[in-house]
Amino acid sequence: MIQTDNLTFRYKKTECTFCFPNIDLKEQENLLILGKSGIGKTTLLHLLAGLLPPVSGKIVMEGVDINSLSHGQLDKFRGQNIGLVFQKSHAVQSLNTVENLQARLFFSKKSKNNILINNLLNQLGLDDCKKSKVNELSEGQLQRLGIALSVVHNPKVILADEPTSNLDDDNCKIVIELLINQAKRTNANLIVITHDHRIKSLFSNSIIL
Amino acid sequence: MTIWKISLQNIKTRPLYTFLSVFTLSLSIALLLGIQQLKTSFEHQMENNLGAIDLVIGAKGSPLQLVLASVLHLDNPTGNILYKDAKKISKSPLIKTAVPISYGDNYKGYKIIGTTGEFVSLYNAKLEKGSVVKKSMEVILGHTVAAQLDLKVGETFLSSHGLIENDIEVHSESLTVVGILKPTQKVIDRLIITNLESVWDVHHHDNEVHEKEKNHMEYHEGKEITSLLVSFRNPSALLTLPRRINKHTYMQAALPKYELDRLYQYTGVGFKTISWIAYIILVISCMTVFISLYKMVKERAFDLALLRTYGASNFQLIRMVVYEGVLIVFLALILGLALSKIGVYFMFKITETDNKQNILQELPFHELLQTVMLVFSMIVLSVLLAIYPIIKMNISTILSNEK
Repeated sequence: MIQTDNLTFRYKKTECTFCFPNIDLKEQENLLILGKSGIGKTTLLHLLAGLLPPVSGKIVMEGVDINSLSHGQLDKFRGQNIGLVFQKSHAVQSLNTVENLQARLFFSKKSKNNILINNLLNQLGLDDCKKSKVNELSEGQLQRLGIALSVVHNPKVILADEPTSNLDDDNCKIVIELLINQAKRTNANLIVITHDHRIKSLFSNSIIL
Repeated sequence: MTIWKISLQNIKTRPLYTFLSVFTLSLSIALLLGIQQLKTSFEHQMENNLGAIDLVIGAKGSPLQLVLASVLHLDNPTGNILYKDAKKISKSPLIKTAVPISYGDNYKGYKIIGTTGEFVSLYNAKLEKGSVVKKSMEVILGHTVAAQLDLKVGETFLSSHGLIENDIEVHSESLTVVGILKPTQKVIDRLIITNLESVWDVHHHDNEVHEKEKNHMEYHEGKEITSLLVSFRNPSALLTLPRRINKHTYMQAALPKYELDRLYQYTGVGFKTISWIAYIILVISCMTVFISLYKMVKERAFDLALLRTYGASNFQLIRMVVYEGVLIVFLALILGLALSKIGVYFMFKITETDNKQNILQELPFHELLQTVMLVFSMIVLSVLLAIYPIIKMNISTILSNEK
């Protein structure tokens, strides 16, 4: 569950103010946010993830006004309730696949669950690279690891920033379907921000910035 | 998964930087500890060797040489003084004990000291085997001498003239071992002790060969000793006795403590130079640690931002970097300690053969702690500098700039 109310944001060095439409998602509802580059898509995502504080407006997630939380509480809330997927997937370089997932669980204060991790890696076809370092993974494997990292801790909201923009048509479909399935599995809201119109048909709910 | 484990993995992915940090840091630690240990051992041994000797009276010349020769038994004596003059001085009420010593011979490099029974008590040395010297041509051996030369009570040997081992001027009379001393860790361990008469007799007979015209009476009238080791009855003698001797007699009086302090000033320059080099290496190694951590923080900014999105707090990220510093310091400390131990051990192996004495001294705990604290505070500074970017980190900007 996520609601926003009259969110605005302005970067310190610029004059232009971003005003964002209100979002109101019930449990298990997904949302596609479309928009051209530079319109503030990533800014909105970072606001929703609590990485940036809004100039005005309110974000309520799972009944919590996230902007009223202290830094420490916000870190904890983010770790437990939000999963982020990036355009180009990233994981901690010095750790291997399984260690990255373990670290993800550790920081979100969830207990280490090797069965869950193994199941997830199995579902995403990453069985063979459990012990691989991040820099040994292929682009596709890294993308799937990124998805695994965003859902392993059973978040309430999955925020995906341009997850498909550098994928071909086939992989684009696979990645989005994976995200939708994982969101469904964990009863999470999925919000995808993109300028990629190929995935429009997979979402019933969409807004254009 | 813990922060420790992530820190450890971070270190493992940067083997070169980790190696450089640990290597330079341990080198400086080893140098600092090694030089401290050498200095402490050196000074401790010197002081230990003084025993109960407050003053040395000998022939005029360099007072330092007199102390080195008569107290530390490292140098050649300045010359001889007449036994009767020394006896006159020892009657002074300011003096508690006055022990005459006479040099001249050695056996395989170990000096033979002609002296009285009191010499042994200056060093609190006790007999391990046998008895004390009762008559001429009997000797007791310091513990090191007996062990190194494998001499036992009852065995005999021929001494050679002079203070350096040689086969050319060997005396004809053999000396008999009557006793062996317990180890004292003092200079007496490497001395061969006999009575004054032995030294005189050996040289008297030699003199007979060389200068047959000299008669026995004349010789004993002019009996000589090398020096007189004095311990005071009370410290006030320090002010009057040396001055009186230096001013009014042909002899000189030297204060071993004072002369050794002068010696430390000369040798101190070397210790200081090496200490400074060690400090410079310490600074360089701390810079290496700083650069290594700072580079990690900067290059892995995205990783760190990612960890923040995982729910890690700033404090946890700081702990991660601090732990890396701690791991490096810990490794370096162990390696540094081991290096200094090995280094000092070999230094003493070498000097042992020169001095025929083992003087390795353990470093007092507070000095060890001092060095460790110094290293730690330097590292704390480097780590603090390295974590500064974490505090300033803007996750949103870093994540937006992902490419």
